[in-house]
Amino acid sequence: MTLLPLILALRTESDADLIGRLQRRDPEALAELYDRYGRLVYSLILRVVRDTGVAEDLVQETYLRVWNRVQGFDAEKGSIGPWLLAVARNRAIDYLRSTTGRARSSLELETTEHPALYTDMERDLLASDKARHIKAAMQKLSPHQREVIELAYFEGLSQTEMAERMGQPLGTVKTWVRTALKNLRDELGTVMAA
Amino acid sequence: MSCEELQGHYELYAMGLAEEPERSEIREHLDRGCEVCMAELKRARALSAIVSGSAEPAEPSLQLRRRILASVGVERQRLRWWAPFWGVAAVMGLFAALYFNGRERDFAALLASARQQARDQAIELTKLNEAFAIVNGPDTTEASFGQGQPQPPKGKVFVNPSQGVLLVASNLPPARTGKIYEMWIIPKGRMPVPAGLFQSAGDGTALHVQRGPVDVDATGAVAVTVENEGGAPQPTSQPLIVAAIPPRGPAPR
Repeated sequence: MTLLPLILALRTESDADLIGRLQRRDPEALAELYDRYGRLVYSLILRVVRDTGVAEDLVQETYLRVWNRVQGFDAEKGSIGPWLLAVARNRAIDYLRSTTGRARSSLELETTEHPALYTDMERDLLASDKARHIKAAMQKLSPHQREVIELAYFEGLSQTEMAERMGQPLGTVKTWVRTALKNLRDELGTVMAA
Repeated sequence: MSCEELQGHYELYAMGLAEEPERSEIREHLDRGCEVCMAELKRARALSAIVSGSAEPAEPSLQLRRRILASVGVERQRLRWWAPFWGVAAVMGLFAALYFNGRERDFAALLASARQQARDQAIELTKLNEAFAIVNGPDTTEASFGQGQPQPPKGKVFVNPSQGVLLVASNLPPARTGKIYEMWIIPKGRMPVPAGLFQSAGDGTALHVQRGPVDVDATGAVAVTVENEGGAPQPTSQPLIVAAIPPRGPAPR
């Protein structure tokens, strides 16, 4: 069932309790975190790197990174799922860049995964209905718009890199990105309001 | 640029993909506490999380969970906690096996398990004893590494002329599957000499001891590289750790 990982992500123990246990270095909390988000993290990383062995190495790296950095997380306001996915995406994109010779400073990726950025987010942000809405919204995009969104989220390409990859003028790519993101933003607004 | 002009760039910024001049503009807005930009970025991060979570579901191997937990010491901790009970269980198993004079196979398995426990603990204890001997040696030379760098492995190296070399490190994530850390003793003006293989713990700490006499005065540095499992006769990658060994003072009379 395609939405199983998302459904499994919705568990009863609050994020605050789980983060508190992780901060007290309770290894069982890491098991809980894996049970809750492991498949989601693995699916995302596999989507980016497309190699099961590498994906598992990067999932391990993701969890270790979170384990080592969770002290900086706000247990009361933090949203650990979105943070975990940001860390996972960055590990995967970083790996992809290193293998495709697109070595860029990983510092910029690092700044996007600071724990303090993932606070006060909606509680059930990763609920299956939201992902379903976004997926439906992505299907409504034109093929070019969908492609640029996938290149950004799952391959970590900047607009200039997308233009080179697609052999299209930068201005055209920027228009596709802008329109696609607006549509997704509007969809997100609808979902949040629902 | 106004916040309105930056619309469409928040998502790229949240993903670390914004380009100039928008990247600097957003940073500037954030630095001066622009609430519009902060709210937009929060929304962009939410969108990023939902899109990331919409990847086609896939199933990792069953071993991955155990691997992750083992890397932070869950399995080890469990075993340590149960260690005394293993001893008792082994003795009880022995009597039970003798009493029933039958289940040799069960007894053998239990005994093997208890022996393995004892062996693992003995190895760990030996390693700690060796480390203490080096640290406490009156003629031990000490060198730090990693200080003043943004994100390095940090730690210390202790070199004792008769006991060997001890390396203690933190911020050293476990080497990837198929890879291992290799320590090198680098004599002044000569090729590095292999000084043992090791793996760091899940929390990024490592303790490695290379036993044996060392010519401290002739040693220029101790280094660590990542190598393929099994190690290499000479380093094949740039060192992650380099600790320069300071010259020793004159020997006490």
